[in-house]
Amino acid sequence: MRWLGLSLALLALLGVAYLFLPKGHSFYGTRLMQPKPVDFALQGPGDPVRLADFQDKVVLLFFGYVHCPDVCPTTLLALKRAYEKLSPKEQERVQVVFVSVDPERDPPEVADRYAKAFHPRFLGLSGSPEAIREVAQGFGVYYQKTQYRGPGEYLVDHTATTFVVQGGKLVLLFSPDKVEATDKVVADLRALL
Amino acid sequence: MRRWMALPFLLGLALAQEVRLVEGWVRYPASLAVTAAYLTLENPGERPLRLLGAEAAWAERVELHGTFHQEKDGKMVMGMRPVDFAEVPPKGRLVLKPGGYHLMLFNLKRPLKLGEKVELVLKFQNGTQLKVLLPVEAR
Repeated sequence: MRWLGLSLALLALLGVAYLFLPKGHSFYGTRLMQPKPVDFALQGPGDPVRLADFQDKVVLLFFGYVHCPDVCPTTLLALKRAYEKLSPKEQERVQVVFVSVDPERDPPEVADRYAKAFHPRFLGLSGSPEAIREVAQGFGVYYQKTQYRGPGEYLVDHTATTFVVQGGKLVLLFSPDKVEATDKVVADLRALL
Repeated sequence: MRRWMALPFLLGLALAQEVRLVEGWVRYPASLAVTAAYLTLENPGERPLRLLGAEAAWAERVELHGTFHQEKDGKMVMGMRPVDFAEVPPKGRLVLKPGGYHLMLFNLKRPLKLGEKVELVLKFQNGTQLKVLLPVEAR
């Protein structure tokens, strides 16, 4: 009988302890065990844009190109869906950024107009081929022209991951497949906000 | 004699496999540079049918493309390549969808409106041409 009482007391104690455990959000995207510091300066539609300008926001970064009919619009439409699920207050703390890996065909205005065709609050960036190369390398983004038919006619193979940056650090990744699960992406963003 | 005159015609009908559009859409383009058409085709016939491509009066050029994933230097890379054909299996379906096959439309001659229906003429290896009307959708 004494043992039963003790066991019950122990169980109750465990139950109370459980209540005080931090309830961690289980991330759907790929969390980086060691968030990587990232920054860059590229050209926006007007002024140069630094990633650090969005220090107080969660930045969703996608590298693509305007002449991309399948993969890029699929991801940007998914990001638009996720963004539109957020409340206006949450939206203020999230910035979607499209970076062109085709600077020859996509000057900053073209990249920005393209991003804004998905959502007026999205931002499109470009820059010199060297600047783009450096930024892409920083994020481990691969891109390569293929099927070259002329200066304006080619395709670009590229990494289609969505990178999530917070406080100057790369913290989360969404593969092109994962980014389409809008509710799960929204839940991840809310856990970061 | 007269009753045999209809024979070649009937034979022709039997050979022509009636390929059918199940559904499809054209992606609302974010720029006039390119867009894609996605669709599902059904082949009720006994033999495979090869989709070669399409023509559209509102685009300069149309190509049939396939999207692929590939690992390069340990990184997942996506891209697309023109393909010669895509097969609609006998008594089966061919699905062109994001991340798979698509009809890539180059240099649009005019902006498309959300919700409008645009015409494409699908071309098959056996000479069949199928006119389809697809809605322009942001999906």
